[in-house]
Amino acid sequence: MSAAERAMGRIVARPGERALGWAAAAALAASAVLSLAVAPPDAQQGQVQRLMYVHVPTAWLAYLAFAVVFVASIAYLRTKRSRWDRLAAASAELGVLFTALTILLGSLWARPVWGTWWTWDPRLTTTAVLLLIYLGYLAVRRLTDSPPRRARWAAVVGIVGFIDVPIVHLSVQWWRSLHQGPTVARLGGPTIAPVMLATLLVAVAAFTLAYLYLLALRLRVGRVEERTVAEALSPRIGRPAEDLLDDAAGAPVEPAPRGR
Amino acid sequence: MWLSGVTRVFGAVPALVRIDLEVLPGEVVLVRGPNGAGKTTLLRVIATALSPTYGRGRVLGFDLLRDRAEIRRRTELVGHRTRLYDALTARENLAFAAAAWGADGAGVGDALRRVGLAELGDERVGGFSQGMRQRVALARALARDPELLLLDEPYAGLDERARRAVAELVGRVRDRGGTTIVASHDPSGATMADRVLHMDAGRLLPEAP
Amino acid sequence: MTTIRQAALVAGKDLRIQFRTRFGAAALLPFAATLLIAFGLSLGPGRALLREAAPGLLWLAVLFASVLSFGQAYGSEVEDGALEGLVLAPLERAAIFLGKAAAVAAELLLLEAVVIALVVALFGLSIGARPLDLAAALVLGTVGLAAVGSLFGLVVAAARRGEALLPLLVLPLAVPILVAGTRATAAAASGGAGSWLGLLLAFDAAFVAAGMLVFGFLLED
Repeated sequence: MSAAERAMGRIVARPGERALGWAAAAALAASAVLSLAVAPPDAQQGQVQRLMYVHVPTAWLAYLAFAVVFVASIAYLRTKRSRWDRLAAASAELGVLFTALTILLGSLWARPVWGTWWTWDPRLTTTAVLLLIYLGYLAVRRLTDSPPRRARWAAVVGIVGFIDVPIVHLSVQWWRSLHQGPTVARLGGPTIAPVMLATLLVAVAAFTLAYLYLLALRLRVGRVEERTVAEALSPRIGRPAEDLLDDAAGAPVEPAPRGR
Repeated sequence: MWLSGVTRVFGAVPALVRIDLEVLPGEVVLVRGPNGAGKTTLLRVIATALSPTYGRGRVLGFDLLRDRAEIRRRTELVGHRTRLYDALTARENLAFAAAAWGADGAGVGDALRRVGLAELGDERVGGFSQGMRQRVALARALARDPELLLLDEPYAGLDERARRAVAELVGRVRDRGGTTIVASHDPSGATMADRVLHMDAGRLLPEAP
Repeated sequence: MTTIRQAALVAGKDLRIQFRTRFGAAALLPFAATLLIAFGLSLGPGRALLREAAPGLLWLAVLFASVLSFGQAYGSEVEDGALEGLVLAPLERAAIFLGKAAAVAAELLLLEAVVIALVVALFGLSIGARPLDLAAALVLGTVGLAAVGSLFGLVVAAARRGEALLPLLVLPLAVPILVAGTRATAAAASGGAGSWLGLLLAFDAAFVAAGMLVFGFLLED
């Protein structure tokens, strides 16, 4: 058996992963029904406005995922446990997905409503910059083969990138406000009916469940990856693979073995 | 100093495998082994230029993982990468190192003389040959007073006078109670050493009784 | 030695190297000039448009040239393993970061002096009304850029093959500098640069502080 096969045999899904998957599927189905059939179309924008029920959740998740990257990065630098790096990497990948979706949906929404593919709306523009920062994060991870180095460098990018986002948003917002154009309005319209709000909340919850499920899946793959490396290394070092997992060099030091 | 289970992996390639080592203060230890045995990596780990992927240790009484700054303050690594800045002169390189290690610059001129580079002290290092660069690195060690001296192939490309400077350096460290670990193929190393260790494929072979 | 003095030691070393190697001016200056000419050719020849775009073009040139300089900033450390020398030196990591960033900032400021002259000449940028505001914007923007660049320049140098990555890492993070710098420069002609300068200051504070805290994690192996 190859190292990868040994690893895959060892790593099983954590309990609750399947339940989470079913819950997410059910919630998404409910959300789809509500947003497509139950919620009324917008008075001004018509059916297109239903995109809000997808666009807002993906935007929320884009930023949530990045916040998770931020927290996990700090946790990694403080504890040096590889589980935090796995979480950061997994969340970053999902974050790229949701950020790209947000931008795509924002663009699709803007076209029929405002007549342009891109509105330089502060939040959308910040999201575009966020995507680029994420891509930089993922690119840095590919710069080195050494897992501790990769984790450290990525953690720094994850932290520094995150603190940049509010500053980017502020700068773009001020920049946009210099020209009071038609796109000063929120893409969602100035007021929101209770039915629409309820639908939106269901959508956000459903997408969040989906994010958590995808995260669990990706974390499992991450565990397999780590296990594979450990299995490959184990014969060369003469230690069982279990000992090599998350065996942080930063673990506390015991007293000297020979009483010096 | 002692090391326990120290393993260093580069990607998927182990360069050091479960090194258990103990060195007493004042000893001069020679490490031998073929190319690629891991001698350089071992010295770099002890110097804290690299951290171990697994394992732990104590150097000069300080934890290998936690108190690296303390170890660095007291250690000098002379390797085949000389860590010199090409655009600076020999004197400027040494002055920078002296200042960084908190020593005053007084020993710099003397050190350059001992390695035979006194006249070239104000030439940019970029124009030096490899042998000359190594002599500058030696001078850098001579200008300091390290408690732990780590020499990686110190004799490579050196003439008789420079070899004597190496011996002088080791002798000085020893006289002041410091410890030296030398990795070398060269026979000159054997005469100074209290102990000889052998490495192969990242492992430290058991010592002969 | 205090942190500041350690930083001064590192900065001094870098500036001396820069001085000996002509500040990399052989590469940076022609690059910036080429950019400006290219801007002129692609946006001109209408003078009105160029004058209006001038603040933005100034900062674009500064930004792109700075990315080039960050790649060079650690060049001297890579030859013969000098980077390991910095790791081994008992210098505080934050001090090394400050020293590096200070030297990079100094180099960039020199470059900007020339670029400003070129932008005034080529695009008719107006400085007259509030030259101090413009100077403040340049200094603050440069400090922020130097902080970001000194951080990622290290990653790229240590990875040894990541130079193509520098634009992707630096430019998105530098968006606030581009926006605030441009607006402050445009406002310098008419007044009202205050809040933009404040934004630059906040950026600088955040990134210099962050850099000081995380640099050690990047340097260690």
